[in-house]
Amino acid sequence: VSRTQRWLVVGALLAPLWALAAWRIGQDVVPGDLRLPGVDARKVFGGSLIDDAARYERFFYVAWVVEQIVRVTVLWLYARKGVRFLRDSAAGPIGTGVLLGMLGLGLTWLSGLPFSVARLWWERRHGVSEMGYPEAVVGNWIALGATFVWISFALLVVMFLARTIGDFWWIPGAAVFTGLVALFLLVSPYFATETRSLDDPKLEAAAQRYERQQGVGEDIPILVEEVSADTTDANAYATGFGPTRKIFLWDTLLDGRFTIEEEQAVVAHEIAHHSSDHLLEGVAWFGLFALPSSYLLLLVTRRRGGMGAPEAVPLALFVTVVFYLALTPVQNLISRRAEAEADWKTLESTRDPAALRGVMVGFAETSLANPDPPGWASWLFDTHPPLARRIAMAEAWQARQP
Amino acid sequence: METPSGPSFDPPEGSIPWDPPSDWAPSPSPPAAPGESPRPVRVVVLDPDLHRNRWTVVVRLILAIPLVIWLGLWSAMALLISVISWVIVLIRGRLPESLVDFFTAYVRFSAHVNAYLSFAADRYPSFVGKPGYAVDVEIDPPSPQRRWTVAIRLLLAAPALVFSSTLAGSVSVPLPSSGDSAVSTVLDLSGGGILFVVAVFGWFVCLVRGRMAAGMRDLAVYALGYGAQVTAYLFFLTDRYPSADPACVLPPLRVPRHAIRATNDDDLRRTRLLTLLRLPLCFPHLVWLSLWSAVVVVVSPFAWVIVLLLGRLPRPLHRFFSAWIRAWAQFAAFATLVAGPFPGFVGAPGYPVDSHVDGPTAQHRAVTLFRLVLAIPALMLASVYSTALTILAVLVWFAALVTGRAPSGLQAFGVAAVRYQAQAYAYLFFVTDRYPYASPGLDEDEVPAAASLFGEPELTAAAAA
Repeated sequence: VSRTQRWLVVGALLAPLWALAAWRIGQDVVPGDLRLPGVDARKVFGGSLIDDAARYERFFYVAWVVEQIVRVTVLWLYARKGVRFLRDSAAGPIGTGVLLGMLGLGLTWLSGLPFSVARLWWERRHGVSEMGYPEAVVGNWIALGATFVWISFALLVVMFLARTIGDFWWIPGAAVFTGLVALFLLVSPYFATETRSLDDPKLEAAAQRYERQQGVGEDIPILVEEVSADTTDANAYATGFGPTRKIFLWDTLLDGRFTIEEEQAVVAHEIAHHSSDHLLEGVAWFGLFALPSSYLLLLVTRRRGGMGAPEAVPLALFVTVVFYLALTPVQNLISRRAEAEADWKTLESTRDPAALRGVMVGFAETSLANPDPPGWASWLFDTHPPLARRIAMAEAWQARQP
Repeated sequence: METPSGPSFDPPEGSIPWDPPSDWAPSPSPPAAPGESPRPVRVVVLDPDLHRNRWTVVVRLILAIPLVIWLGLWSAMALLISVISWVIVLIRGRLPESLVDFFTAYVRFSAHVNAYLSFAADRYPSFVGKPGYAVDVEIDPPSPQRRWTVAIRLLLAAPALVFSSTLAGSVSVPLPSSGDSAVSTVLDLSGGGILFVVAVFGWFVCLVRGRMAAGMRDLAVYALGYGAQVTAYLFFLTDRYPSADPACVLPPLRVPRHAIRATNDDDLRRTRLLTLLRLPLCFPHLVWLSLWSAVVVVVSPFAWVIVLLLGRLPRPLHRFFSAWIRAWAQFAAFATLVAGPFPGFVGAPGYPVDSHVDGPTAQHRAVTLFRLVLAIPALMLASVYSTALTILAVLVWFAALVTGRAPSGLQAFGVAAVRYQAQAYAYLFFVTDRYPYASPGLDEDEVPAAASLFGEPELTAAAAA
């Protein structure tokens, strides 16, 4: 039995397990027979808003596509020529691998910088962002450094495993990657700066009510993140898990443009992410995809001495980026499913479809999000269901009420 | 040298004016790097004697008041005249003789006053920048200057001015105020630099011993020399850009044989991508060294007790601390662009700018007992060195990004700065009981380093002067 055949047998045994795990993680509470009614987006959001939003978002579509082409090209060139940076390292093989990994990441960052500036220019032009250009460029240095630390640690683990246990590194390697993502999620609430406590008894009382309804054990801390100096966009997010789980509401959400019922709907939505364990599900999905991607790395880096050799790192970076770029629609699909479930739970908790509808109209106005984008754009870019579709869900929920 | 123009004052009563030795003559220029002509502006230690008169040390600040006032007035004049000089040099391509004399005397007088204030010299300087002072500046007659460098001289001088301000700041620039008085504000670029710290510690050392610490004197001389080069460049005495190389001091600075020694095999080549991304590239080391440093701090009290009991640091602990010092020094060299390649994480030897650490030796128990207190001056000086190193890093970052190389002078000073900090940490963490030697010189003498700031040895180079 050849090596390839052996691996094929292992793959054939693992594939059903993988599919079973994916099916289990993919379960949600949205009724399977739910049919969403058609929503006339121009009537709900107004024709001019839809036209403006479509024009506004078209720029991002083009920028994203060009950015990905540039990024992949840069990494492809780096995979071919990056080995020359070996002479710039006085560290050992693993240290050199770490350097090459960070340089690749740095090149990716540099290649994306003009697009970040262009996006900011577009946002400023449309009054969505008020962030300064120097802040957008220099302000990211710390975040870039943190990413460098992350990739350094990941490469340290992978290269150490590859140098000690050889071809089997990808199995514990995928587990370690997943553990790192979980660790990052665990500590991520502490990265938020410029926050204050929520000083709104009514909203807090509503949050406690939703937490009880959705079966959340303990109170989830809700903090207000002060972003109004940089953007007029309204948003909220849930992060952390277990003892660190938190909800952050942007202060732009609480500046009077949304009614208290709409604010409560947003809070219920974020609580739903925690009550449905969407964040941990995300980690589980990552783990599921980490296995094949690590195996792919094992295969493609063999010609360069395997992942234990620093020469393989630039190629590994290129392959990883392309792999996850190809997975973008799948990742978006998973994310949209989780958001839809959170919306459903919001409706079950608040029993106020008008509030959810108001939030969606408000989001379209404050962030110029296209409520009804073309199908391909939604498939490729959207991590949330289109706003018109979310309103359709509110209407479907209402129709099912006795 | 011609007698400089400018008003003449008698020194205060009781002080002894320094007369140049009868056999005084301009020193030969320091050896230049291959392909480089000798430096046209150089600082020279004419009187290597480290003895200091305690009485004048006590009241030195008061004695220096007339000098400082006169320096301020002269600085204001120099700045005003420099504007006229700028136009003249732009048109003629060189400075007129009379202005050469005026600015030469100013540069020299400025160095004399700062040497006197920082205890690099003991004799009261003359008020006219008379040549032959204990720490003097020699300036070659000016040669024709490239007009484009004259046109943008202030812009070109800006990086050197910034670095000079962290070292010595012999440049005092009067600024026109917004009020009625034409010149009422003086921007003193010296504030809180290395020279200031040397002056403060030098005062204590001179009071206690009646002698200046040799390393600190050399550091002060180096700082004065760089300041003099910057001032001469700014005032059109030369168009040669100031060099931060410690080798520019005459006679060459030497350092005693210390347990922590620097090796410098850097080729000055800097890859632009690594230069551009230097800050984020440092993050993994920062995280790692922070964790390692925490362990070092936790272990150090135990090491203190052990060294007190045994009289030496056990080999495993010595190895642990030495590796940390080497790793830290390699990282510091990389982060500040003093070295090019990405360093390892465990302090393995072989880095281009490396620290050699001698094996464990017997240590004085008394020095060990009061180590923390004794280390305070060294740590403060290390902190000032660190500030200079940070400024240096910014300057080298820009230079390396443009040229793909690190300026050799700044790199050499950077090596000395990293070495001093490594020596300070080695002293603090009981790797050695030899006191850090402040001089930025890179040539090593056979004389061993002393155990305290008050016992620094006389080096052969000083005797040769």
